[in-house]
Amino acid sequence: MKLIEALKILEDMKRRKGGARTCFLATGINPLHLNTFLAAELSLLFTDQRIEIRNGLYGDFLGTLDRLAKTDADCGIVLIEWSDLNPRLGIRSAAAWTPSAFTDILSTVRARALQIQQTIEETCPRLPLVLCLPTLPLPPISFVPGWQASSFELDLRAIVQSVSAQVSQCAQVRVVSSQRIDLVSPLRERFDVESELLTGFPYRLPHASALAALLAYLTRQPAPKKGLITDLDDTLWRGILGEDGIEGISWDLDHHSQMHAFYQRLLGTLATEGVLIGVASKNEPSLVEEAFRRKDLALSPAAIFPVQVGWGPKSQSVTRILQTWNVGPDSVVFVDDSPLELAEVKASHPDVECIQFPTKDSAAVYDLALRLRDLFGKSAILEEDSIRIESIRRSHAGTAVGDAANAAPTDFLAQIEAEVSFNFSKAPLDPRALDLVNKTNQFNLNGKRYTEAAWHNYFLNPASFLLLASYRDKYGPLGKIAVLAGYREGEKLIVNTWVMSCRAFSRRIEYKCLEELFAKFDVAEIELDYLKTDRNGPLREFLSEILGAAPWPSCTISRKALESRPRTLREAQKVTNE
Amino acid sequence: MSEMETRLAKCFLAVFPELATDEISQASSTSVPGWDSLAVVTLMAVVKEEFGISIEVEDLVRFDSFKGILNYLQEAEEG
Repeated sequence: MKLIEALKILEDMKRRKGGARTCFLATGINPLHLNTFLAAELSLLFTDQRIEIRNGLYGDFLGTLDRLAKTDADCGIVLIEWSDLNPRLGIRSAAAWTPSAFTDILSTVRARALQIQQTIEETCPRLPLVLCLPTLPLPPISFVPGWQASSFELDLRAIVQSVSAQVSQCAQVRVVSSQRIDLVSPLRERFDVESELLTGFPYRLPHASALAALLAYLTRQPAPKKGLITDLDDTLWRGILGEDGIEGISWDLDHHSQMHAFYQRLLGTLATEGVLIGVASKNEPSLVEEAFRRKDLALSPAAIFPVQVGWGPKSQSVTRILQTWNVGPDSVVFVDDSPLELAEVKASHPDVECIQFPTKDSAAVYDLALRLRDLFGKSAILEEDSIRIESIRRSHAGTAVGDAANAAPTDFLAQIEAEVSFNFSKAPLDPRALDLVNKTNQFNLNGKRYTEAAWHNYFLNPASFLLLASYRDKYGPLGKIAVLAGYREGEKLIVNTWVMSCRAFSRRIEYKCLEELFAKFDVAEIELDYLKTDRNGPLREFLSEILGAAPWPSCTISRKALESRPRTLREAQKVTNE
Repeated sequence: MSEMETRLAKCFLAVFPELATDEISQASSTSVPGWDSLAVVTLMAVVKEEFGISIEVEDLVRFDSFKGILNYLQEAEEG
């Protein structure tokens, strides 16, 4: 982004009607144009809000850290440059660089790094933070030639790496990838000496722009895609199964097809992270089954479900896979080597991200892997991620939970030994709760999403509650599948948030949630902060059943109304409290 | 308006969005509210970016009006 474009974006942003979103950028440099780029990048991510960037005083890095610790901003960014750790590591200081000063410099850097770490650790529980380590080159301070890493430089880098490794383990802290900065902004094109001397702003504009984009992305990571549908021939493996035969397809160095093994390995990794992997292939099903029995596959067939193999249009296979996964097309990536197939799928599913597999271009396959990592990347892997594919597979197996549940709900649920457990703990907040709230559409009370800071602040109210429901049956666990959040107001409970994973439908868990709230808080009624959305039909149907009419904003369910439901619909599961 | 003037006017509009189009060619540090040191630094950065030139610190005094900057750019182009 050019500075002139950023300024134009900010000018347009002034006309927005939404509230302000505040970001505190803590740095010792003069943030000048970085502020402009950052505000512009954030305004592209938060499209209905006005962005406000706050800073501390120029040159007062420690004072700025103090202000960060007390800020009421929505998010914080700690951007460190070498001169923030010790002024002698910048060019504005005239202090000596003698080798005898190295020990003192390292000692100061160590102390300041510790202060940074402590501030971040103390602040991050209430404020999501982004940390960026020095991006500018070190000045030629050491006595060794530039092509040799001095022990002084290595010690310096070890200190800041240690801080970032420590704070990266905190739930609300994200550290900017140095590798990604190196990719998008070459080192020798970052430092603007003139500007540093004139204004204290040390970045060339392209570097400031690239850095701002990364910082903004870490402030609001895009929702990761949920599923990947892959083609087989010349994609998952090299060769055409129907022509080359089982032994003719390859994914190894000997056949110059190693990048297919690389791709398989990536898919296997994604599967372990909870990404759904499916196959859409025009092939003979029996041949594919046989190919999947090859022992040298780098991707376990167990990680793939479903496998749609046939001779019909691939768009139909994609439709069936989306139905099986029960996810929206905008959450899915389709990879195929054929532009024709990609176009055919795109025509039927415009929201599916279609990517061509560059079969014979190894470097392009490597780039594809980087792109897929970005599309599916997430900050943490949750317990639910590891069981997602297995639970979908089970629900579509011979003992199909979905069908059976619809046919004979109570009997069926009793047979499968369903068990719901409830957890009301608010400290620490389980990250799965916000994860569910921000990605669930169908069983969602009002479609409202929360930032990490807003979610955390919500529970600072002592009258607030958080209910996280987990489910398991004899086929295995579904994990944490429902979230309710609200607060008590006299004899009434107000529920502002209620979401439930679509994997948990048809198990009467929603009834159990309400019963649990009445039992736990001993209230006469529950008011629901309901709003109709384009996608919350399943929740609307459920409420209509209880209320006897379509739900309305602030509709109320009384204990009496719930208890008057037939008992067969309410006692299908065993309930435990954690 | 020459191409150079049009491009410079675009820079001015980015930094001083309140300016009316017909005011730009007469804009100066005395006539434009908000023409402060921050605006000058921003204007300088935008002009450098737009025209791909480097600007010496000593020449910043010429960044006091549209005409002053235009003259500076014309001289820079003529070498």
